[in-house]
Amino acid sequence: MAPTPPTDAELDVMIRARLASLGIDLDQLPPGTVSDPATGAPGRDSVFASLRSFVRGSVTALAAYQLPAPAGSDPAHAAALSQQPAPMLYPSISSEWRR
Amino acid sequence: MIKNGRLTPLDLVEAYLARIDTYEPVYQAFNTVLADQARAAAKAAGRRRHTGPLHGIPLAIKDNYWTAGVRTTANSHLFQDFVPPYDATAVARLKANGAIVLGKTQMGPLATTRATTPDGRITTVNAWTPTIPGTDPGGSSTGTATSVAGRLATSGTGTQTGGSITAPSNAQNLTGLKPTMGRVSLAGIIPLSYTRDHPGPLARDARDAAIMLTAMAGEDPADPRTQGLPRVPDLVEAATPVYSGRRLRARWSTRVGVLPGYADGTSATALARQAFLSTVDKIDGVRLVDVPLPDEWDLLTGNAFNNVRLPERSEPFMPYLRADLRGFGVSVTGWLQGALLGANEFVTGQRAKLLLLERVLDQVFERCDVVVQTGPVPFDILGLPEIGFPIGFTAAGVPIGTILGGAPYAEDRLLSVVAAYQAVTDWHWRRPPNPPAATALRSAAPAEDRGRLTADDVVAQMQ
Repeated sequence: MAPTPPTDAELDVMIRARLASLGIDLDQLPPGTVSDPATGAPGRDSVFASLRSFVRGSVTALAAYQLPAPAGSDPAHAAALSQQPAPMLYPSISSEWRR
Repeated sequence: MIKNGRLTPLDLVEAYLARIDTYEPVYQAFNTVLADQARAAAKAAGRRRHTGPLHGIPLAIKDNYWTAGVRTTANSHLFQDFVPPYDATAVARLKANGAIVLGKTQMGPLATTRATTPDGRITTVNAWTPTIPGTDPGGSSTGTATSVAGRLATSGTGTQTGGSITAPSNAQNLTGLKPTMGRVSLAGIIPLSYTRDHPGPLARDARDAAIMLTAMAGEDPADPRTQGLPRVPDLVEAATPVYSGRRLRARWSTRVGVLPGYADGTSATALARQAFLSTVDKIDGVRLVDVPLPDEWDLLTGNAFNNVRLPERSEPFMPYLRADLRGFGVSVTGWLQGALLGANEFVTGQRAKLLLLERVLDQVFERCDVVVQTGPVPFDILGLPEIGFPIGFTAAGVPIGTILGGAPYAEDRLLSVVAAYQAVTDWHWRRPPNPPAATALRSAAPAEDRGRLTADDVVAQMQ
């Protein structure tokens, strides 16, 4: 059974904890939704809202993606086949070298 | 004219400095104008033998390219006092080919959006609508585009991660070339995303873009991304129109791929695209071919997969993120997003990128040699070359451009097609009128009057 999606409050805790574990303190940003007048940096609540949307959107979509198995292959092998394409940081270069 | 002695580098530089003096208060295209340095370089060039195709040619350099002894800010609070110890490789190569740096240009803060101050106040306007700050001048290489379109520089440099060369070129009637990843060294350029940042020129036409890229391109010991690649072809020759007798023909027989929906509708853009296709179709040796969108195109080029670039944004900036989040100004959110994307998802995204490339090569470039683009991002994801160029105007007089994409290292093919198109059209010759003097005075008011982007705006427009 799929886990229950996190609430806003749970995500806020996760976001704050993840960033704190990297040494990033969100309390550097001004409280609320008003931007810092001196630098233009957004308010903390606005940033939390944007980051929650990012986790629910991009992070979840990427995590859920499974590469398709080649056409004609046995669907039972899809998971194993999807492990085969190599991750490539510079696809243009790697592809040119394969030509 | 310089080579033949009919124009001195100093006269040319003085002419551009005079225009900067008159119109820069309106355009606000520059971060820093290097008048004294440019004059000194021009005098030295006048005394020197011809050093290359850019001998004595004044250029505008985007402010994320390091310039030795000259402040390089990327329009950010983080680098407001940064004075690099040496030139970016691309700048050094332009200078070695004779170019003269007129100044550093305004850009989106840390290359994230259209040019604003780091706190979001709009600075640079579109040279075609100088009294309407709301008209998008294109970003993030905004200042370079405005300086070239407004004739404050002959050509200039930009960087592209998500459309930052082609978008401002299209917005301001210029020819902008984003080369293949690795064609131009990124050494000495403040990074945004290290697998997707592409340095390239914004120029008036294909030939100028070819001259600029020829100077900028090539292997660099300081950047492994440039090493072991195919040689740089003769780009200037590629950008020179070819005639059989008096009849224009394509330099190489070329199939132009047309994606579904590219020219559909009756909008000004659609009509310009239809006219563009009709014009290139009449060039000897060019053939239009319909090509399908590769499988899962919308998913693999969409927002989520495009966001795989964001950890590349946060990782090199960790010391800055720990020290002062407010230093990122209106651009901070993208850096925090990158810090939240785990390695697991990052690797999945890299696998998907290779899948996307294979589909583009197999399903698109098996059928055509160049392909129209409806947006720059797919080929930015893949590091493939793109060229933006003018194809018309709206009824309000705002330029309309389009983008062609090419196979790996096919900058020469892209240039050849655009050069042939520009040989039978005159969009690229058109110039915006000078802003009226009264406008110059009004526009010299504080930038606050031009509006302000919020952090949410920056996320929505993020490169």
